Amino acid sequence: MMEQKTNMENIFDKLGDLKSFFIYGQKLIPILQKIIDFMQSTVPLLENVNREIQDSTSKIPKAALQINRVTNATEVATTEILDVVDGVSMDIHSMKDKLQSIKSRMGEDDDLVTLLGMIEKIETRMMNITISLQVQDITSQQLSSVNHLIQSIQEKLSSLVKDLTNKENKEIPSIDLYPRDGTFNADARYDKNSKSQELVDSLVTKRNNSKTSQEEIDKLFANQ
Amino acid sequence: MKKVILIADDSPTIRKFVTVALSVKGFEIIACADGMEAMEALPTQKIDLVITDLNMPNVDGYELISSIRKNEDYRELPIIVLSSLGNTEDIQKGLESGANSYLIKPFDPKRVVYEVSKYLN
Repeated sequence: MMEQKTNMENIFDKLGDLKSFFIYGQKLIPILQKIIDFMQSTVPLLENVNREIQDSTSKIPKAALQINRVTNATEVATTEILDVVDGVSMDIHSMKDKLQSIKSRMGEDDDLVTLLGMIEKIETRMMNITISLQVQDITSQQLSSVNHLIQSIQEKLSSLVKDLTNKENKEIPSIDLYPRDGTFNADARYDKNSKSQELVDSLVTKRNNSKTSQEEIDKLFANQ
Repeated sequence: MKKVILIADDSPTIRKFVTVALSVKGFEIIACADGMEAMEALPTQKIDLVITDLNMPNVDGYELISSIRKNEDYRELPIIVLSSLGNTEDIQKGLESGANSYLIKPFDPKRVVYEVSKYLN
């Protein structure tokens, strides 16, 4: 009799637990409904994000191609200008030679000296043009570095698209890093300031001096 | 006889700059787009001086200089580095690999002519 009572008590306890579970479940249902509603509204948003990422990823090679086109155009234009500079420099050089030979035949002449001075000025200006034109090389290195950056962004986005859609996006063409595939200096600066060259010169001088000192030491020991 | 200078640089405009600056002074220029081309061009004729960039595809400037210095025939060949790499480490690395001079881009053509003349005249 006592045992039967204990079993009944256990059943009532379990029923009580079940009751509290249902009560808890009733409280939980609106929260679950909210989560489902949120998920339902999020899915189109995520799909939209996915589409946008795919769209942006497919546009990246076009941006890289445009950068390459800019580099190529400036390269062609710079080479054309340099051809002109080369021709003018050659003409100036032969003019200078002829004036020098006239000067040596006729002796000192004020007009000739003035002309030679003017030619030297033109030569210096032509040299300055060639220094300024080197901005093309520097900018092409900077643009290559931008292309490299674009390529790494494309790789990241492609892998994100692959993770989201579970398939490889074959429509996205690869980026052509012409003309400087990994051989650019991202820190290249168009700096006509001579400080960088001065640093190099000081290092070269230091190196040559230490080399000379070593040579002198060797000589000294050889004489002993 | 004209002195022959080999220039190795992947930038066509830099190759052109050097050609313009030096051909007017009576030097003959052989232009190569990278270190590999330069290594192939070296034995084909007598080269009096090499001007090289450091960042190049296939074979870079450091490798080119090292391979030149390893060759007994070119041990005394003057080498000038022409690079936009301007920090102390790069400069020292370039000089330690065996370059005689180091010029920073953008360079003054007069300075290039001066450096070349220092070794060839």
